[in-house]
Amino acid sequence: MGRKLLYFLDNIESYICRLLLAGFVTLLFAQIISRQLFDYSFSWSEELSVYMFVWFVFFGASYAAKMAAHNRVTFQYKLMPAWLPPILEVVTDLIWVAFNAYFVWLAYDFVFNRMNLFWKSQTLGIPMKYIYLILPVAFALMTFRILQVNYNKLVKGKTVHAPDDIDMDEMLEYEPPGVSTGSSDGTKAMNQNDADQAGKEQEVRHG
Amino acid sequence: MDESGIVMILFGSFLVLLVMGAPVTVALGVSAMASFIALDENPIKLVQIAFTSVGSFPLMALPAFILAGALMEAAGISKRLVALAESFAGPFTGGISAAAVLACMFFGAISGSGPATTAAVGMLMIPAMVKRGYEKGYASAITASSGGLGIIIPPSIPMVIFGISAIGLAVPPEAIEQHGEFQSVSITKLFVAGVIPGLVVSCSLLLLNYIRCKKAGYLGTEEGWDFEQIGQAFKHGFWSILAPLVILGGIYSGFFTPTESAIVAIFYTLFVGVFIHKELSWDDIFRSLETTTWLSGRVLLILFTATVFGRLLVENQIPAIVAESMLSLTDNLYLIWGLIIGFLLFVGMFMETLAAIMILTPVLLPVAYSLGIDPVHFGIVMVCSLSIGFSTPPLGENLFVASGISNVSLEEVTIKALPFALMSALAVFVIAFFPELTLFLPSFLGY
Amino acid sequence: ANFKMSVGDGEGSAQQVMGQKFAELLAEKTDNKHTAKLFLNGLLGSEQDTVNAASIGTLDFSVLASNNLAPFSPTVGMLSLPYIFENLDQAAKTVQGPVGTELTENTLRDAGVRILGWTFSGFRVLSNSKKPVTQLSDLKGMVIRVPKNEIMIDTYKSWGINPTPLAWTETFTALQQRVVDGQDTPYTTIYSMKFGEVQQYITDLHYLFLLEPLIVSEAVFQDQNKKTQQAMLEAGKEATAYSLDWLQEKEGQIKKELVSKYGMELNTLNDEAAWAEAAQKEVWPKFYDSVGGKDKINALLKSLGRNEI
Ligand code: NA
Ligand code: NA
Repeated sequence: MGRKLLYFLDNIESYICRLLLAGFVTLLFAQIISRQLFDYSFSWSEELSVYMFVWFVFFGASYAAKMAAHNRVTFQYKLMPAWLPPILEVVTDLIWVAFNAYFVWLAYDFVFNRMNLFWKSQTLGIPMKYIYLILPVAFALMTFRILQVNYNKLVKGKTVHAPDDIDMDEMLEYEPPGVSTGSSDGTKAMNQNDADQAGKEQEVRHG
Repeated sequence: MDESGIVMILFGSFLVLLVMGAPVTVALGVSAMASFIALDENPIKLVQIAFTSVGSFPLMALPAFILAGALMEAAGISKRLVALAESFAGPFTGGISAAAVLACMFFGAISGSGPATTAAVGMLMIPAMVKRGYEKGYASAITASSGGLGIIIPPSIPMVIFGISAIGLAVPPEAIEQHGEFQSVSITKLFVAGVIPGLVVSCSLLLLNYIRCKKAGYLGTEEGWDFEQIGQAFKHGFWSILAPLVILGGIYSGFFTPTESAIVAIFYTLFVGVFIHKELSWDDIFRSLETTTWLSGRVLLILFTATVFGRLLVENQIPAIVAESMLSLTDNLYLIWGLIIGFLLFVGMFMETLAAIMILTPVLLPVAYSLGIDPVHFGIVMVCSLSIGFSTPPLGENLFVASGISNVSLEEVTIKALPFALMSALAVFVIAFFPELTLFLPSFLGY
Repeated sequence: ANFKMSVGDGEGSAQQVMGQKFAELLAEKTDNKHTAKLFLNGLLGSEQDTVNAASIGTLDFSVLASNNLAPFSPTVGMLSLPYIFENLDQAAKTVQGPVGTELTENTLRDAGVRILGWTFSGFRVLSNSKKPVTQLSDLKGMVIRVPKNEIMIDTYKSWGINPTPLAWTETFTALQQRVVDGQDTPYTTIYSMKFGEVQQYITDLHYLFLLEPLIVSEAVFQDQNKKTQQAMLEAGKEATAYSLDWLQEKEGQIKKELVSKYGMELNTLNDEAAWAEAAQKEVWPKFYDSVGGKDKINALLKSLGRNEI
């Protein structure tokens, strides 16, 4: 039970994001149907979907941090002595943590002390304060994820591979004879829309 | 603090962080923060920009197109489109590799991403080419090089991002005074404008493919066209062929905005995947949602910091300075196009496409305006130039994907893809020098 | 100092003309010690964002529609009630008189920004690509774009149709592609946005006179010495008067050009009393509380010589 809960919490952003994404996509579809077929527009649907989208984005950014998937330019690591890149990775992550921590403080200050109390969303009537709350929350969570990734890497020796990374590894282990189509590896690779992280790995291999 | 001081801090710290291997979003955010502090401005500005840079309705097209693409993959739509293209290979020299280019064009009409196009097409077409006696390296290279068509032929995620960045930028009044009013930018217009340039790049790839295949002796099949196979591919691919029509037809006819058309495509795919092809499972849907989550999260986090970065540039009138210094170098439009395209190709070698667009649009678009270049034309040239970056080292996403599929070394694929990159670059110059190629279709259709 | 001024609209708009005049007057009155640079087209953020920014002190000036200030200081919402003003004179008299002073005080208290002056942008008139609208029943079956604004949405509902709230940046394309049939903005906006290219008919509607205040961050204002403060206040007043003259001259000229250049058809309503009655009856009561009570509205009506409610 405890482990299940822990697993759930460890993937909390993923659950929230999938729910939000499915939610606003469905909401927009309902809006299109209602406009095209019944000539009727819900006045609040655009606003609600945009706010769901913003929450989706920032929780998604935290999720990407957990997966170590944020884009970096890394080809230059090949030109450096081998001991340097691991240090740079830690240093840049610490800079990131510092930036995020400062931003969390700014966002907290903004939401709780600076924001106009009358300010409500125009068609939903929700105080904007609650909607902006995503910023301190998501950036705090993201900071935790960066620390988590580094803790796992440095203390526990478990490197988190970016999702594109893992795909590429599997593909490389896979020997295509005349290459049969539609292999299970293939389907996984097809899910990668962007393979730069994989590139890093690849370059190390060949370089 | 004068402009050059700010430029030093902003770009200096950005480049240092980038070279250290910091995430692009961190390099942008930290350098902007440093500049705010140097300018003695309150960095609390960042908070509001974080929210508003992302909270825009047109931007929702981005996750919607990513999700639609992922679902189409899982629903078997992509597979059938590629099979259809393959059936056209026929008896020609270089026929099957030409079919790979064609497959990228078909696939480009449903997908907005380059590496996804390479992966989907390469998975089926590289083995097919190898079976017909093509060298694996060449098969990988042609696929990696054509994968860039995924972002030139609409729909296109980079065009969405360019549109969002460009809509937020005002035309400099001096430019209007000199060149008259400019047309406004919209994502729809960009989607229409990309069609002919997409064909130009495709044709250039097909031409070079023909020449290289002839030299290598890659002949077609002896049996000629297999009409039965073509018929079968059409029959099986019927619902897949409808997919691009749903997406683009909806936008072009004005039934839907680009965001809405992606939404409709999602539900169309769910319908086809579940009820017609019967290939879409709950697992597939969850996985597609998850992929969309982290991809959108990381791209749009860059959008936030890139917006702050761009705001600093604009507030300090840095684009105007860039434009001035460029014009002081030369006022020959063709030379300036050469400089811009060369710079974009260079950036595309190292940097991820969307990040490059978000960072460079606020700098380069005002330059384009001051030269009287149409913003839609400029956007298309920018997207085309950066699409080549998918297949150039050291960061060439399509090369990695293709080499991963074929198990050919990255060096070999890279070298064999280089002639195609040069050919595409040539096509980009053609597109840049003849604005009509881009602007004819939008004006013909009344946009 | 060279202050930053955010302007929601573009070059040649009433907002820009007013803001530019203010910047010139400020320079003149302070011997070029202070002026303001305009950032047009919402380059520094949406109109609502600029209120927050000014209130925190990260932005100096902003020119924005009063309905975008209202969320931060609810009494300002009074100015956007449908048919609260019957003509330009009433609008001008209100903001330059005691009501204007009260709104300025309220905004200062609620939002930490000071209203320095007002831009007169004119009545929002209805344009569409479908047919001439000359009476209430003509609206039926039309898809009209409105901003995401409760009062405007409710007003159209009171007229029996469901409007489509759409972002401003998407409006031109939506009109062009006929995703929506029509929209309402002042003549000056219809002209500067080139709506004539995609719209055929205009109806001279008078439900909403667009007033667009120029605000200054109170934190920035208090940082200035007495002399500069005085210069800002005076420049605001004079720019307001200038905006009024500009509108009167410009609107007549633009109407002619919309006809001659784009071939638009201008129509008047033959039952505007019915439009006014429907809107007043259904919309006003919903907003009594937020604008500070029915009494406030009655005081305003009385000052205009209109019947109280
Ligand atoms: Na595409
Ligand atoms: Na590259």
